Amino acid sequence: MTVTNTCVTFDKKINEEAPCILACPIRQDARDYVQLIARGRFSEAFRLVRERNPLPAACGRICTHPCETKCRRNSTDAPIAIAWLKRVLGDNFSEETRKITTEKYPEKIAIIGAGPAGLAAANDLALFGYSCTIFESNSTPGGMLRMGVPPYRLPRKTIDNDVEFIKKLGVEIQYNTTFGADITFASLKEDGFSAVFIGIGLIESRTLNIEGVQLGGVLKGISFLNEVNTTGSARIGKNVLVIGGGAVAMDCARTALRLKSHKVSVACLESRKEMPTTDFEIEEAVHEGVVLYNSVGPKRIVGKDGKVAGLETLRVKHVFDEQKRFNPAFYEGSESVIEADTIILAIGQASNLSFLKGQDGIQITRGGTIVVNPATFSTSVHGIYAGGDIVLGRGTMTESMAQGKKAAIAIHNALRNTAIKDEKWAEKPAVPEVLPSRISFIKKEQKQEMPVMPLEERLNSFDEVELGFRLNEAVKEAQRCMNCGAGALVDDNLCVGCLTCVRVCPFEVPEIKRGDTTAYIDGDCQSCGLCIVECPAKAISFKTPLEDCGRDALEAVFQEKFIQGVKPLIINFYCQYGVYYEDTIDAIDDAFFSHVRRVGVLGLGKVDPSLYLKAFELGAHGVVVTACKDDICHFCKDREWVERRTKFASQLLGGLGMEPGRLRTHFVSSQNGKEVLELALRMVEDMKNLSSGQS
Amino acid sequence: MIVASSKPFQEIKQMLSGFKKVCVLGCGSCVTICHTGGEKQVIELAAQLRLSAKLEGREVEVIEDSTLRQCEWEFIEDIREVIQDCDAVLSIACGIGVQYMAERFPKIRVFPGLNTTFMGGPTEQGIFWERCAGCGNCILGTTGGLCPVSRCAKSLLNGPCGGSQNGKCEVSQETPCVWHQIYDQLDTQRLLATMETIVPPKDWTTGMENHPRKMILEHLVMKK
Repeated sequence: MTVTNTCVTFDKKINEEAPCILACPIRQDARDYVQLIARGRFSEAFRLVRERNPLPAACGRICTHPCETKCRRNSTDAPIAIAWLKRVLGDNFSEETRKITTEKYPEKIAIIGAGPAGLAAANDLALFGYSCTIFESNSTPGGMLRMGVPPYRLPRKTIDNDVEFIKKLGVEIQYNTTFGADITFASLKEDGFSAVFIGIGLIESRTLNIEGVQLGGVLKGISFLNEVNTTGSARIGKNVLVIGGGAVAMDCARTALRLKSHKVSVACLESRKEMPTTDFEIEEAVHEGVVLYNSVGPKRIVGKDGKVAGLETLRVKHVFDEQKRFNPAFYEGSESVIEADTIILAIGQASNLSFLKGQDGIQITRGGTIVVNPATFSTSVHGIYAGGDIVLGRGTMTESMAQGKKAAIAIHNALRNTAIKDEKWAEKPAVPEVLPSRISFIKKEQKQEMPVMPLEERLNSFDEVELGFRLNEAVKEAQRCMNCGAGALVDDNLCVGCLTCVRVCPFEVPEIKRGDTTAYIDGDCQSCGLCIVECPAKAISFKTPLEDCGRDALEAVFQEKFIQGVKPLIINFYCQYGVYYEDTIDAIDDAFFSHVRRVGVLGLGKVDPSLYLKAFELGAHGVVVTACKDDICHFCKDREWVERRTKFASQLLGGLGMEPGRLRTHFVSSQNGKEVLELALRMVEDMKNLSSGQS
Repeated sequence: MIVASSKPFQEIKQMLSGFKKVCVLGCGSCVTICHTGGEKQVIELAAQLRLSAKLEGREVEVIEDSTLRQCEWEFIEDIREVIQDCDAVLSIACGIGVQYMAERFPKIRVFPGLNTTFMGGPTEQGIFWERCAGCGNCILGTTGGLCPVSRCAKSLLNGPCGGSQNGKCEVSQETPCVWHQIYDQLDTQRLLATMETIVPPKDWTTGMENHPRKMILEHLVMKK
């Protein structure tokens, strides 16, 4: 569905989107929720995430975050921890803010499988106004999230929370209902379902065609994980070897460690760099004690007394051939044996298409996946749609959700005979890499580390290893975001080509190209706002309505009941970058402040001096501007501008006959410490003592 | 471009005293570029006026607007609707714009918010210097491209005078002696010999001594 609450103003010249957003299969508004967190606006950030993402808490934990791979902050130091920031939202906020449509359509939709694809399809179809029933063969929702992903990476409570949210939309889930056995296409039709979405995933583990796979102690990866994830235990030995190099292999290995195996190893064809999972997962596995055997291929499983004794391997020459096809080759005579009493096969999953019996016409591939129209996710049979791993073969959680979401739109279009589109999926160019000459102007800022459970405690339970950011850590991390693609935009109709922006930008971004009469600001804009304030023609603004440069916050202060009765009333303009500079927050916002109201702006370089006048016009008796000291200034250059603007505003106020002390500027180390408190309180006292003026 | 500076606020306040509805009107060309008459200054000045009224307990409505150029009838006609209910317009255009406004809207009092000062340009962000006096008889071709009429305190045509000290004008140590600069420039261009040529008295009737001046481009004048 089309979400419009973060409308970004694009002009024809710079129709560029943030790479983090383009990289996401569901086009999650990564930049915008990160920017909201950077301002401490958590509820709005959660609302924004939830509008596109039906599983935010799960996604914040196990998403492979291609957004971070593409994050432009990679060119300066390290990417923003976008997924972990989403997790903060999913974990700490649950406010129901979705706009639920009042329109209800008569059609019923059947969704097969309560995994990411099915849940996403049901979520979006319910938001459209359809009644959806999910049929799930297990007794709990989540699909592979629950069967395959261990609880130490994805606690079950988080899946349940996400699913509860979807159920609140009216989505019904029928558990213990197996498609093909308990229900069929025919029975669904009889029951009046107008469309079916198949999102059953790949539930079988692939097996190896080598000697010894039938031996006792050879387990299949997904079955093993499912057993442990469901019952909390599984019968394994003390020396476990996992075959495979992907995410499931890492999950099997780390799960085996928690079942108190003495030794857990992973053997895979790929070299360390070729392994088909994220570095982070591999590092965590190794950190916990898993031994990696890279570039070895299984030749046969060695047995003793009908049970596994080890794996005979061959050294790998190459995994992929010259055409980059999977075609492993081995060195002859390189056999060696890795001892093991349990072998877990985690070399991929396969589909179980037994439900198709009696349903002719659904086209399938040689690999056992369902063929769909890539635009509509419609199968070769009218009214039957499919998405997720059963279509992708091997996909990620977000890819599956994207297919569910796209199928939801297609189903709606087919049932209503409409052609609506989700504009978020429109093709747009990405904001290019940061120009090398500008990198040195951008301040390097330490990425926040994810707090984790100590190693010695981890292996004793299946409790979650990553503990999640605290809110102040999340804000600090989010404040590293460069706001790509949403920075300053020049209105060609207003620009007079005065060159002010070209001269004041600390990052040397604006330019007036030869032959042009107006300024051009490219995607390297860091959103400091200096040009926006200084532009004499007011031709520059931010592309998103998110940044109001303090105006809304100031107006909000004066919406407060009885505010006009507060005497003296002091407005404190402060830099939000400095609020979470210290780990310990004194939280002066919460302190009882009868005379002081705070207006936070992400960088005081965004504040126009006329706003200080506006504060007085609205009823303030004093304004205290607390800006960050140079060493903590995010943009590095704000100080000189804050100084000259408050001096200028003081002159304007002086022209009105106002006392010079009514507007003060201080440079502080933290915006939440005692220093700010003292400065504000001193101003309150001084204003009380002023005999003339408004107070 | 035309450079203009803001009038002291007290003077503006005095001019506008007694008016209940005032429009602060910016101009989108020269004075925008010199940061005294653009949209930004409209906002600032309007805020000052409102605050001033509030402090003194006066009721004044201040509206804000701008035109692309106040020295064009068509552009200022566009704001007729905006200002028709106003008692006064504070134009922060140059003197030309103020006059155009006054002529086009004779029933509305129009006041200048700026002092139009000179023709010049920014030498760096925030610093503007006079560069042309509009003498109507340009001699820049003989002075290395530096104008002694506008940049010499005495408008000397045969400089420098005895007041040139270490490259500075005796009138102000901040002001470079343009004749010193002309000498250096001609030296660079290997044209120092031209300094020997005595320039005869200039015909000043082409300049400010002959108000009002007028220019007619016959090929563009359209019959009414």
